[in-house]
Amino acid sequence: MNGPDRIARLQVLAAGLRAPLYAELRLELPFDRVWAVVADLEGELPHLISFVREFRVPAGDSELKQAEAVDVLGLRGPFEVRLRPGWCLMQSRLVTMGMAAEPDGGGTRLAVCGALRPAALGPVQRGYRRLIGERRARAFFREVERRARLR
Amino acid sequence: MRPWEVAAPLVRAAQRGDALAMDDLLKLITPYVTRLCASIAPADTADAVQESLLAVFRGLRGLRDPVACYGWVRAVTVREAVRVARRTGAETPADPEQITRLRDLLPATGTELTAEVRDLLARLPVQHRTVLVLRELEGLDERTMAELLDIPEGTVKSRLSRARSSFRKAWTR
Repeated sequence: MNGPDRIARLQVLAAGLRAPLYAELRLELPFDRVWAVVADLEGELPHLISFVREFRVPAGDSELKQAEAVDVLGLRGPFEVRLRPGWCLMQSRLVTMGMAAEPDGGGTRLAVCGALRPAALGPVQRGYRRLIGERRARAFFREVERRARLR
Repeated sequence: MRPWEVAAPLVRAAQRGDALAMDDLLKLITPYVTRLCASIAPADTADAVQESLLAVFRGLRGLRDPVACYGWVRAVTVREAVRVARRTGAETPADPEQITRLRDLLPATGTELTAEVRDLLARLPVQHRTVLVLRELEGLDERTMAELLDIPEGTVKSRLSRARSSFRKAWTR
């Protein structure tokens, strides 16, 4: 049998990260259009995530890259990025984020997860899970869909 | 390098919350987990694999000895696969019969089961299937199996004996 698909794999990583944010949604847009938005980290991430002002990714096709994020306060932080079709993991010293997509008929299943790095923050993360997690995820999906339609 | 030697540094990094190490670890153990689940829960392999992997990664931070990773993954996977297989429960027990060595019919550890052997295993009850897989494919001794399955050693022996008979009966049918 085939192994777990990318959405199932992200669920497993979210469990391992004890991520307070994990959500998935089916979008009525083809995989290529959806993933074109997600994979364009430099162009799109600042639109998709409210606290990212800039995201700089070195050019090239390598699967693992060292990127740099600038947040809304102007603070810079290095990010490790693993990006391939339907799969994106990004982590800094403080934050981890994962995105996965699978074609589903004419649409696309998209999943997102996010966690804070220091394990000590786990209980705090879980406390805010409902409040922040669901709202962030909804806003993320809405924006991916809107920007994919613009392409 | 042995698989657990590759796994140990990934486990340590994953325990610190390194998502890329988790991704690598997931890739490393998925074929092993899938092989075990395909033998124990053939009708629900995908469910068994997913539940096993979720349980493994949820429990990863509690794993004290990363070098023991594979034994621990095996224990978690067997537990989850048996649970999933029992949930559907379409099983047909068979009676003990003739005696020959089962090992001759099964490939060496680490290789894929042939479709025929897999099909035969699928027709055995979960309990029989599980002890056969652990003994003949994983090469575990009876005491280790008893600990893993949380049943007395005598029960392992009798299950194993019945399982071998069932398997042979099905094989020669």
